[in-house]
Amino acid sequence: MAEYIFRRLMKSLLTVFISIMLTFLIIRLMPADPVSLMVDPKLSPEVQEQMRKNFGLDKPIYTQFGIYLLNLLKGDLGYSFKTREPVITVLMQRLPWTILLMFTTLIMSLAIGLPVGITAAKRRNKLFDRVVNVLITLAISIFIPFISFAFLYLFGYRLGLLPTGGAYTPPPTQGFAYVLDVARHSVLPTITLFLGNSATVILYSRNSMIDVLKEDYIRTAFAKGWDDRYVTRKHALKNALIPTVTVTGLMIGSMMGGAIMTETIYAWPGVGRLIYDSVNAMDYPVLQGAFLMLSITVVAMNFITDLVVAKIDPRIRLSGGRA
Amino acid sequence: MNQRSFASAFRKNRLGLVGLAGVAIFLLVGLIAPIFVPYPKGYGTEIMVSPSLTHIFGTDGLGLDILSEIIWGARTSIYVSSIAVLLAFAIGVPAGLVSGYFRGVPGSIIDTLIDVFLTLPVLPLIIVIAAVVGSSITNVAVVIGLFSWPSLARVTRNATLRVTEMQFIEAARCLGIKQRVILFKHILIVIAGPILVNLTLIMATSVLSEAGLSFLGLGDPSTWSWGTIIKKAWDAGAIIDTPNPYWWWFTPSISIILYVVCFNLLGNAINDALNPKSRD
Repeated sequence: MAEYIFRRLMKSLLTVFISIMLTFLIIRLMPADPVSLMVDPKLSPEVQEQMRKNFGLDKPIYTQFGIYLLNLLKGDLGYSFKTREPVITVLMQRLPWTILLMFTTLIMSLAIGLPVGITAAKRRNKLFDRVVNVLITLAISIFIPFISFAFLYLFGYRLGLLPTGGAYTPPPTQGFAYVLDVARHSVLPTITLFLGNSATVILYSRNSMIDVLKEDYIRTAFAKGWDDRYVTRKHALKNALIPTVTVTGLMIGSMMGGAIMTETIYAWPGVGRLIYDSVNAMDYPVLQGAFLMLSITVVAMNFITDLVVAKIDPRIRLSGGRA
Repeated sequence: MNQRSFASAFRKNRLGLVGLAGVAIFLLVGLIAPIFVPYPKGYGTEIMVSPSLTHIFGTDGLGLDILSEIIWGARTSIYVSSIAVLLAFAIGVPAGLVSGYFRGVPGSIIDTLIDVFLTLPVLPLIIVIAAVVGSSITNVAVVIGLFSWPSLARVTRNATLRVTEMQFIEAARCLGIKQRVILFKHILIVIAGPILVNLTLIMATSVLSEAGLSFLGLGDPSTWSWGTIIKKAWDAGAIIDTPNPYWWWFTPSISIILYVVCFNLLGNAINDALNPKSRD
């Protein structure tokens, strides 16, 4: 198990390193003047010169990368063109909101997706399974802004039931009223992301359950006379869970794409909305920082799912072997 | 599997035929219709008219016909997804073949890279790059293509791993056939099926990415794409403001979803026809 976790940790670190390298290269390999992309053109020439020195833009590219890495370790991601604040401060204000949204969506996808997928597998080719299959095809093909618009139109405009944007009603209140207010604001974004992402969970839990139910040990369990629910819960479920959890981990990266659009439309104050605002303001330091922050979040959440897999997969838990 | 049994298995799949027909219609509309429908530009006289006989899908905030915008948008979608698929094919297939055939160091390096790129949040990365390189529809298509290869490489690698074990490959090696020929002829032909399935999926997802980028304002402002129409509707406050021209965002969104559904259905049907086991 230790070896498995070590290997996963190495992979996570490698992934973070590659995203750092990508953010570094994105700016420097562009045909346009890299200086104007990193140093705010509105600043005075002396300050620009000073910043150029700080970034080491007059030195060879590998020295620049070293400087970049050192700055990152110090938490220095540069300064926002728009607000002049350090990028790290801007990001840290936004990150909790994104994590809140992602976490609720993940929990919901698993809590609802798993039972649906497993029920569909047990009633394979019956009506329930067929309906689920059609819904999955639709959900995989869904364009996130479309569901968001449809929800906003229905619940925000037509019925006026739910707020149409933001994460709380300004000015923010205190205590329980605040929690309730945020919860009301998060209903639509969460359901939107859930619809776009639960399909993967349902699809994989259904398919792996179908595979597991074909195994000999399931037939043996039935032959021993145990009832259906006991066999499903004690024998089939755990083994069907393993690929589902793995895929859920992989799903987090693509969820971030949907999160950007969802946050943008509902004016949710997370990193996604920040990306949208920075695109429009051409605020490149914030854009780079936001991508890096999202990568690290994704890698961290991925690593957590790896740990969960290690916990539920006896092949990993009981041995040092690879799975 | 021989071709006749593939075709007959495919023909029995009704959803697959629907997908195929849909894909054909989109291709036809995108390629031919711009000849018949004038390019929507400038201003129209009838602003935000709801769907009627003269404007089946209504008009937008500049009085332009939304149906013509969607037809030109179809052309953009096909252009973007074709470029993305070509690039993904050019990178993903060789990467998958090499990592599946040559185990050991080169294989595991490529495999780790595939893993890393599958984990990374790709859309945010594409957004950052698109913001830096500037928005032209070709730039957007190329960036999407450059990051669509990992899933294809993974599929190719898994299929290659399976085929490399087979005896005819061993036989080919014993005959002294060059490795390049074994890889790109003997193996590639056998694993063409799963690759094709993955390519249809990339056709679908690349249009979703393009629409997302255009919606975020990173598309080409001078080219009509479905995402651009939706962005204009959103900027104009067409969703929650009164007056409420719901037709402005509804039909382009439905076009995106139909395009993606059709390619997904086609991909599923090819997959089912190739795997007799999943048909039971």
